[in-house]
Amino acid sequence: MSQEQAAEKNVPVIELRHVDKHYGDLHVLRDVSLSVQRGEVVVVIGPSGSGKSTLCRTINRLETIDSGQILIEGELLPQEGRELARMRSELGMVFQQFNLFAHMSILDNVTLGPREVLGQPKEEAEKHALELLARVGVAEQAHKVPAQLSGGQQQRAAIARSLAMRPKAMLFDEPTSALDPEMINEVLDVMVELARGGMTMIVVTHEMGFARRVADRVVFMADGQIVEEGAPDDFFDHPRSQRARDFLDSIKGH
Amino acid sequence: MGLSELLSTYGEKYLQGLLATWSMTAVSFVFVMALAVVVTVARVSPYRPLRVVGDLYVQVFRNIPGVALLIIIAYALPELRIVLDWRTCVIVTTILLGSAFGSENFMSGINTIGVGQIEAARSLGLTFTQIIRRVVIPQALRTTVLPMTNLLIAVMLTTALGSQVPLSPQELTGVVSYVNTRATGGILAFLVSALCYVGTAFVISLVGNRIDKRVRILR
Repeated sequence: MSQEQAAEKNVPVIELRHVDKHYGDLHVLRDVSLSVQRGEVVVVIGPSGSGKSTLCRTINRLETIDSGQILIEGELLPQEGRELARMRSELGMVFQQFNLFAHMSILDNVTLGPREVLGQPKEEAEKHALELLARVGVAEQAHKVPAQLSGGQQQRAAIARSLAMRPKAMLFDEPTSALDPEMINEVLDVMVELARGGMTMIVVTHEMGFARRVADRVVFMADGQIVEEGAPDDFFDHPRSQRARDFLDSIKGH
Repeated sequence: MGLSELLSTYGEKYLQGLLATWSMTAVSFVFVMALAVVVTVARVSPYRPLRVVGDLYVQVFRNIPGVALLIIIAYALPELRIVLDWRTCVIVTTILLGSAFGSENFMSGINTIGVGQIEAARSLGLTFTQIIRRVVIPQALRTTVLPMTNLLIAVMLTTALGSQVPLSPQELTGVVSYVNTRATGGILAFLVSALCYVGTAFVISLVGNRIDKRVRILR
């Protein structure tokens, strides 16, 4: 199905149907169903160990699932192999630990995907990469290696690396959790910008301010289940479940 | 027999020996590195049979004494109609032993890369081969310069196995045997070859350290 057809039929960009996953005895995802429409920003929150990171990682199959279905624009996520690689290239992913390639310059980090996977010529890939690096504010660092950058700069470069693939959607797995406090905002600003630009996003985060400001929908997870979901103001001001009330109480008031 | 007499009589022989050791070391090391890469890729591949073969290769060739392997290659392979000349026998032995250790070096280099970078590469849509070629091997090479320097020295010392077969020209240790069967060079004959080995190893480690400083990956 082409992108236009998918949009016309209102097919979700990302859809999970009754997804279950165990780590040994631990039931990390319990019958999770979620669908994300084009341009929608879904923020997933919940206590640690609630399965929210796992949920994020199953969407591009960095984690396999035991049962259920995951569909990208109506297509089932394929098994390991070339098809899966292609599907992954259409979903951007940003990690807690940035995971930039340590032996490459920032510019090479950003051009690797487009050159290797999309077969873009070097000049074209570098031109696009420099635009993206400028957009996230690290253009001056293009020729440095990751270890020479601050955490915030590395994470912004990692976002540029994902964007270089022109993804259909972006997955953020706790993108600010490994950052020093003064660097969190510079990364969130880039994400706000992206959201405003219409990017489809799933964001796993502890940044409640960001969720309130940017999310179209907040999904609250606990014990591997989606306990409740709704518009951010509804959720934060009038949480329906006791679990959500306890969670929100536990993180405020310091 | 004094040093000056030893050198005036056998100096040229020693020089030939040193050159033979150097050339066998160089040829062996090129193949050691190439084979170590191949074996290591097999050991980290997603295909279990390949991983098993790779692990088995390392376990076998890391645990056979050089002399035993040389005897197998020089005297047992001809039974299978595989006849190699003496020099090739020594080189093949050195390659098989060295590449097993080389692969272990690479494995420890790969372990420093961290699963996060591999996941990032997968999430960009890179295939296994692309990840190995662009992310894993470059980093494994650059983080293992010092262990590989040691391996190069070990490879050089392993070529002394050449003294156990009739090589022409002989390598350094073979030259010592040659000298000691003809004259009473005694300990002095060994000392000259030892100096050649130590001198070479010194230069190798000097160069290795330089390269390591140049290519080391900042973390």
